[in-house]
Amino acid sequence: MNGSDSTPRHRQGMDYGESEDVQKVHAAIQREKQEPRVGLEPLSLWLIGIYALAVFFGGAYLGRFSGSFSGDSLDPGTVPTKSHGPGPGGGGQQPQQELSPAERGKKVFMANCAVCHQASGLGSQSQGYPPLAGSEITNGGSRRAAMVVMKGLQGPITVKGQKFGSAVMQPWESLGDQKVADVLTYERQEWGNHGGPVTKEQIAALRKELASHPGSFVEADLQAVPADANLSGGEEGASPPKPGEQAKPGAPPQGSPPPATPGAQPPKP
Amino acid sequence: MNPTEIPLKSPGSVTDLSIGEVEQVERALIDASTRVPVLMFYASAIVWLLLGTVLAGFTSFKLHSPDLLSNVSFLTWGRIRPAHLNVMLYGWGSNVGMGTAIWLMARLCRTTLRHPLLLVTGGGFWNFGVLLGVCGILAGDSTGYHWLEFPSYVAVTLFLAYSLIASWAVLMFRFRRGDPIYITQWYLLAAFLWFPWMYLAAQTMLFIVPVQGVLQAAVNWWYANNLLFLWFGSLALGTAYYMIPKVIGRPVYSYHLAAIGFWTYAFFASWTGMQRLVDGPFPAWMITVSIAAMILCIIPVATVGLNHHMTMRGYFPLMRYSPTLRFTVFGAMSYTAFSVLGVIISLRSFARYLQFSEVSVAYSHLGLYAFFSMIMFGAMYYIVPRLVGREWRFASLIKIHFWASVYGIGLMTLMLLAGGMVQGLNMDNPTLSFTESTQSVLPYLRGRSISGILMTVAHFVFAYHFLLMLLGLGRTASVPTFLNPVNPEPGEMVAH
Repeated sequence: MNGSDSTPRHRQGMDYGESEDVQKVHAAIQREKQEPRVGLEPLSLWLIGIYALAVFFGGAYLGRFSGSFSGDSLDPGTVPTKSHGPGPGGGGQQPQQELSPAERGKKVFMANCAVCHQASGLGSQSQGYPPLAGSEITNGGSRRAAMVVMKGLQGPITVKGQKFGSAVMQPWESLGDQKVADVLTYERQEWGNHGGPVTKEQIAALRKELASHPGSFVEADLQAVPADANLSGGEEGASPPKPGEQAKPGAPPQGSPPPATPGAQPPKP
Repeated sequence: MNPTEIPLKSPGSVTDLSIGEVEQVERALIDASTRVPVLMFYASAIVWLLLGTVLAGFTSFKLHSPDLLSNVSFLTWGRIRPAHLNVMLYGWGSNVGMGTAIWLMARLCRTTLRHPLLLVTGGGFWNFGVLLGVCGILAGDSTGYHWLEFPSYVAVTLFLAYSLIASWAVLMFRFRRGDPIYITQWYLLAAFLWFPWMYLAAQTMLFIVPVQGVLQAAVNWWYANNLLFLWFGSLALGTAYYMIPKVIGRPVYSYHLAAIGFWTYAFFASWTGMQRLVDGPFPAWMITVSIAAMILCIIPVATVGLNHHMTMRGYFPLMRYSPTLRFTVFGAMSYTAFSVLGVIISLRSFARYLQFSEVSVAYSHLGLYAFFSMIMFGAMYYIVPRLVGREWRFASLIKIHFWASVYGIGLMTLMLLAGGMVQGLNMDNPTLSFTESTQSVLPYLRGRSISGILMTVAHFVFAYHFLLMLLGLGRTASVPTFLNPVNPEPGEMVAH
């Protein structure tokens, strides 16, 4: 940056040294216009018009989308007109109401599962995501469905007579017992499905059972479990199997419990 | 306009006046006092600009050729992108902005810069901090906060260096002589006070005493947006308010407009930032207030734009000759485009589709490059000859710099805007997978890389030209380097 320091100072018109002959200033400074000044033109009317428009739209926007300036309303759509009905509490009251397991499950589903299986539960044939709506796994006994959700599934699988296999389902056991139970309950009752509810305790029991299972299941693992086998461990499985449950609380209702997976359930009780 | 209509001033009319002579000597003394520190800021800014450009090239190419250099850990996308951002913000932008601001402050306060070597020390520490921070990011030590990726141990260095630099500017203001305070001084002084406020607030609330949860995002975006608005924006607007009237030799159109523009900017801009978090987990009013502030920012933008336009009216043909004017006016016009785009993409109905797309990248580049950097290039074309005592050597290099920059940033903005809209709409389309929505942007990203090559050419040409100036290889003519030949009448000099 100080390369020009080394150049001889006597070159024409470039003396910047603070010596006596400093008046021999560089041409750039001689020819310079004077320092900027400021005029005093008044505001024009149309500019005031723009100000008014900006203030109007800014204010209108603030009023329309401010959610009544409530700390609870995350949704800007809670407009004053609505806010009288379900309104200002629309954001605030709902969380206080107890949600049903299926409603909670719907939230879990939308956040985690709907990306592949779609909100409609129909999955995507082209991308290899099997449907849940009307699926025999979802509708059958809760055990198969729970195994898939807990540990995931890979390899080819046939659902509703169609082959799937290009996609891999990841394990969801990290969601926790409650959420897995809720989402299973939701899936088994939504889209015209008719499976029974699943409880947190059942999932907890299944989790212990599957603890030593290394990776995802494949179709053969599922087929080793009877299609209608329900989960054990809860106070209640699906509605039909009550008699079996009375006989042996830990076992699925019909017939003997076929523990296809390592770490069988009967030893537990 | 005929070149002869350029306002000309014969040297005689000035030198006849003893006041004029005194002013000239005074200017020469002031320029000489700022010489070393300002050239140091400029030289380091240009080094960072080149480094940032190279990093930007990698960042851009990796988006469509992900295998490029992907086996070198410190050259992975997740590191070079923040490195690029921070090099440009703190290495290029802040250095060039502070250098220009120091020179303008000294000029306008009509005071020489005292103890310039201490200022050089401050600048040295600043650059050391940036270097440390960039190495930290490349080594994987990034904090992960947008535009604050420098590891927190760097923040101390930067803040101390900044305090030293800024106190010099503020002290000059304290020792100013005579004249009423000019518009440029408002913006510069405000910028020098706003930056430490924002930086300290962000550092405190994110690292020293971190706020809880999602509020960190709010603090982060408030900082990032206002770094752009209050720091870079103020520096650039202040510079434009000096360069335009100075080069054309005409008063700024209206003091009233300037005052309204400044105070409304100061008042509304600091409310913005949260509009980048539309539909985030915040009370709706927080985001809406920022959007409303963005809408209200139309007031300062329209005012400043009108003020510059009316100042320039009738003088636009001068852009044919003066490099400074050409770059500055382009930057000032981009300010309007940048602000209008900012308002549009912050509205909820647009942000819903566009906020996670390349449109945000287009917006940042429009602000930091088309607006801020172009004005700074213009200022450097004006200031450097006065510091090294030489004129720019090649008009052709200035032309290449200008057109490559303009076409580069133009193409980049176009590609990212178009690509971002496609991307935003596809991401919203439930029948398309995320992969498909990403793939749809690829052609636009390739186009963006081409625009980056243009800008790379511009920057290397400019750096070469600047190096010639530093080495004293500029022209020694008494006429500035015009972009196109001017034929003044004999004995007359064209002001610049």
